[in-house]
Amino acid sequence: MVDALTRSMRASHLLLAILVAASLVVAAIGAALGDIFYLRLATEALIFGGLAISVDILLGYTGLLSLGQALYFGLGAYLSALVLMVVPSFWAAIAATTLASAVAGLIGGFIVNRVRGVYFALITFGMAQVAAKIVYNTRALGASDGLIGVPVIDINLGVTSISSGSPVGFFLFVLALIVVMYALAAYLLDTPFGRLLIALRANEARIPFLGYRTMTPRLAAYVVAAVIAGVSGALYPMLRGFVSPELMYFETSGNAVITVVTGGTGTLVGALYGSALLTLLKSVIGSFTPHHLIVIGILFMGAVIFLPKGIMGSIRPAIERMLARGEKP
Amino acid sequence: MKTTRTILLAALLSATALSTAYAADTIKIGVDTPLSGTYAGIGQQVKWGLELATKEVNAKGGIMGRQIELIYEDSEANPAVAVQKAEKLFEVSKVDFLTGTVNSGATLAVGQVAERAKKLLATTVSFADSITGEKCSPNVFRVNAKAGQQSTALAAWLAKEKPKAKVFFLGPDYLMGRSTVSAFKEAAEKVGAKSLGEVYAPLGSKDYSQYFGQIRAAQPQVLYTSVAGNDTVRLFTQMQEFGLLKNLTLLGASGTVTSQNIAAIGKAAEGFATGVGYSTEIDNPVNKAFVAAFKAANKADPDLYGTDSYGLIYAYKAAVEKAKSTDTDKVRTALRGLTWSTPQGEKTIRAGDHQAMQTMYVVQVTNGQFKIISKVSGEDAIGPDTCTRF
Repeated sequence: MVDALTRSMRASHLLLAILVAASLVVAAIGAALGDIFYLRLATEALIFGGLAISVDILLGYTGLLSLGQALYFGLGAYLSALVLMVVPSFWAAIAATTLASAVAGLIGGFIVNRVRGVYFALITFGMAQVAAKIVYNTRALGASDGLIGVPVIDINLGVTSISSGSPVGFFLFVLALIVVMYALAAYLLDTPFGRLLIALRANEARIPFLGYRTMTPRLAAYVVAAVIAGVSGALYPMLRGFVSPELMYFETSGNAVITVVTGGTGTLVGALYGSALLTLLKSVIGSFTPHHLIVIGILFMGAVIFLPKGIMGSIRPAIERMLARGEKP
Repeated sequence: MKTTRTILLAALLSATALSTAYAADTIKIGVDTPLSGTYAGIGQQVKWGLELATKEVNAKGGIMGRQIELIYEDSEANPAVAVQKAEKLFEVSKVDFLTGTVNSGATLAVGQVAERAKKLLATTVSFADSITGEKCSPNVFRVNAKAGQQSTALAAWLAKEKPKAKVFFLGPDYLMGRSTVSAFKEAAEKVGAKSLGEVYAPLGSKDYSQYFGQIRAAQPQVLYTSVAGNDTVRLFTQMQEFGLLKNLTLLGASGTVTSQNIAAIGKAAEGFATGVGYSTEIDNPVNKAFVAAFKAANKADPDLYGTDSYGLIYAYKAAVEKAKSTDTDKVRTALRGLTWSTPQGEKTIRAGDHQAMQTMYVVQVTNGQFKIISKVSGEDAIGPDTCTRF
C-alpha cells in the first residue's frame, strides 16, 4: 500500500529523472559545440537550485519561511574559498563546510526556532543581514571587495579526477552532487520524521497531543536545510573563482524563495526546475533590456496568480494520478 | 504557403549572412556595467562617455578601418552577476575587449574572468588601490585615478598651502570610510602634516555635536572628512551652527561634497577642498570640445566617470593601432607605457602596474561652485608601484 506522500515523492523522482535526462542532453550538446558560457550558467543554476531545495525543506515541508538562507550559502561559499586557497582539495572544502554549516545551523536554529510565523521570517532575515554586514566590514575576508584568487581545482574521485574548470565535467559533477542532496532530502522527508515535519506545517498545536516534541524536528529540519545550503554555497567559488558579500545579501535569499514558489513549493524538484528557468530567463532577458527585473517580477506575479502551486506543483498531480493507476492490483 | 516559407527562409539566411559579415568587420567592446540598481547613475555616465567616443572614432573611420561595436550587459552592481555577464560577453558575444565594471569587487572578480579567458579588462571607475596594487592582474588596466592619487594630490596641495598643518580626521564608521581616512592621513603625514586625532561616526548620524568638544579641544587648522551624501550636509551645517568653521580648512574625499548635496550644504561648504581626476573646468581645447559635445548629446554635464570612459576608447584605439592587432598579448604590450590625449590632459599607463598616470586637480568650493585651485603632476600623485605579479 502506497500512501499519498510516498506517491507524490515518487512523482517528484520521476520529474527529477526527466530533469537529469534533459541535463545530460544539454551537456552532450554543449560538449559537442564546445560551449562554455551556457554550461557554466547551467552549473550556476544547479548550485542556486541546491539553495532553493534547502528553502523548500523549510517552506514547503516544515512551513517555515526563511528569508535568510543565504547566510548558510554564503558561509559555505566563504569557507570553501578560504579552504581552497590554502589546500586545493575539494573534499577538504566540502568536509569543512558540511561541519561548519551544521554547527552554524544548530546555533542559528536555537535562535530562530524560539519564534513562529512572521517573526521567524524576520529573524532569519535579520541574522543573514548581520552576518553579511560583518563580512562586508572584515578586512581579512576581503571586506566589500570579496575574495578573488580561488584556484581551479581537480576533484579527486579515486578512479578519475574532474577539473572544476572543465565546463561539461564540472556541470555533470555538480548535477550528481545536487541529485545526491535531493535524494537525501527526499529520503528524510519520506520517513516518519518527514511526516512529522508536514504535520508541523499543518497544525503545530496538535503535535504535542500526539506525543511528539515540536522543537526537535523543527531544529533538525533547520539544520538539514543549513547543511544543504552550505554545501551548495561551497560549490560556488569552485565555479566562479571568487566570493563576495553580495552572496549573503537578501537578494540571494529572496531569489531562492521566488525560485521555490515559481517551481512549486513542497515538491523539492520544483526548486531545481525553478532555478533552471529563472537563471536562464534572467540571463536572456537581462541582455535585451535593463528593465529585466520588471519582466521577472511580472512573470513571478503571473506564476503566483495563475499557478499558485508553482510549475511542478501544477504538473505533479497528473503524474501522481498516473502512478496511482499503475498501482492498482 | 510554400513561397512564403521560401521567402522567410531566404530573408532569414540573408539576415544571418549580413550579421556575420558585419560582425567580422567590427571591433567588439563589451560593457559590463550597472544599468540597474544602486550604481545605475554611474553606469549611465559610463555609457554616455563610451558612446560619444565610439561615435567620434567611427565617424573618422574607426580603428584600422574597423568600426567599434559596443555590447552592453547589465552587471546590476553585483559581482556575482557581473562575472556571469562577463563570461557571456567573452564566450558568446566574443568581444575583443571589456570595460564598464564599477564597484571594485566586480572589477577584481571580472578581472579574474578576463585572465582565465585570456582577454583584457579596463576599468574606468573603480578606485580601490588594490586593483593595480596587491591584487593586480596582467589582464587588468585602470585608466581612471585610484584613491591614492586623489589623497596624494590633496596632501601635496595642503603641504604647500599650510606647511606642517595640524589635522583632525572625522570619518564614517565603516571600512571604506576608515580606509579613506587612513590613506589621506598617511599621505599628509608624509608631507609634514601633524595628526591631532581621529573619530568615527556611525553611517547616517543625525547629530555630530557629540564630536565637537573633541575637535575644539584639539584645535586643528584642518579637518579632513570622508563622510558622504546627507551625512556631509548634517556635519557641515552643524559645524557652522557651532561656530567651528572659523579659521578651519575643510578637506574631504571626492565623494564628500558633490553636485547632489552642494546646494543643501549651502554656505557651510564654502572653502571645502578635495582632490579629483576631472573637472569640467579644466582649461584645454580637448576638454572644451568634449564638454560641449557631451552636453549636446546627453543634456547633462560629464562627470569623472563619463570622462574616463570617453578617454578609454581613445586609449584602446591607440593601442590597437600600435599593435596592428586586437590580439590580447599584443594589445597588452601596446597599452603598457602608452601615452594618449584625453580631456584631462595627457595620460600615461604605467607599465609596472597598469595604472594610468594623469595630472590631478585640487578643487575648492567658491560661491557654491567647484573651482580648480591647484594641479599636481601625474608623477607626483601616482605613488610607488606595489604590483608584484608582473
